[in-house]
Amino acid sequence: MHSWVQRLLTTATTAALLLLAACCAASALDAFHVPSVQAQAHVTKINRFHKQLNGNDKVTLTFNVSANLESLFTWSTKQVFVFLTAEYENSKNSLNQVSLWDHIIPDKDKANLQVEVKSKYPLIDQGSSLRGKKVQLVLHWHVMPKAGVMIRDRMALSEFNLPDSYTS
Amino acid sequence: MDWQGQKLAEMLMQLLLVASAVAAFVVGYAMADFQLMLLVYAGGVVLTALVTVPNWPFFNRHPLKWLDAAEADRHPRPQVSAAPSTAGKKKAGKNK
Repeated sequence: MHSWVQRLLTTATTAALLLLAACCAASALDAFHVPSVQAQAHVTKINRFHKQLNGNDKVTLTFNVSANLESLFTWSTKQVFVFLTAEYENSKNSLNQVSLWDHIIPDKDKANLQVEVKSKYPLIDQGSSLRGKKVQLVLHWHVMPKAGVMIRDRMALSEFNLPDSYTS
Repeated sequence: MDWQGQKLAEMLMQLLLVASAVAAFVVGYAMADFQLMLLVYAGGVVLTALVTVPNWPFFNRHPLKWLDAAEADRHPRPQVSAAPSTAGKKKAGKNK
């Protein structure tokens, strides 16, 4: 009972197990990787600030983002998902997070971002608490590996104040 | 494949696979290329399969030495001449 089929299957099983071990090791090494991210974001213009018919405040912004995310990439990184959120506090919630912009970075060569964008997604409040509100811009990133654990991190960037009255 | 050959094939398989996994990881990490690691490892697996799966002649260097067929005639199988009564006695003796 020691045929070539048996030997082939044993080889395949052991090979798969060792591949798993190699992937785990690659993912574990990533945990020791300490990136140094440099990023800035500033709101350059508040395009429109008004109250929607359903009573929610809505803001569309223009801002520039400069972020150097090259240090996030390691040998087992598949891509990096980066997004900018506006975070503020109001009487309803201790933390509101609204995503304004996002981007997928497929490789290290494209990880140095210098962009000025109109907010991809508008900042819409749940209610009407945005007038005169201080809002924090926060950059989040998800490092997606080729195999293993996804790493998530964030960095607080600049703050800005919304005007005390609607623009239209 | 004889008994020694089976043992050799098993050892070779494990040794080659572990060695190629370690080599692939080191090469991949050093060159910072995940795909290269997979390629090196795939190469190692194919090599291992080529070495250990076919029944190569060097797995058959220790053939089993069977006794000559004539030996069986010279030493016939002992006949069980025991009647059931003797068996019963033996068992009883053990129980004492």
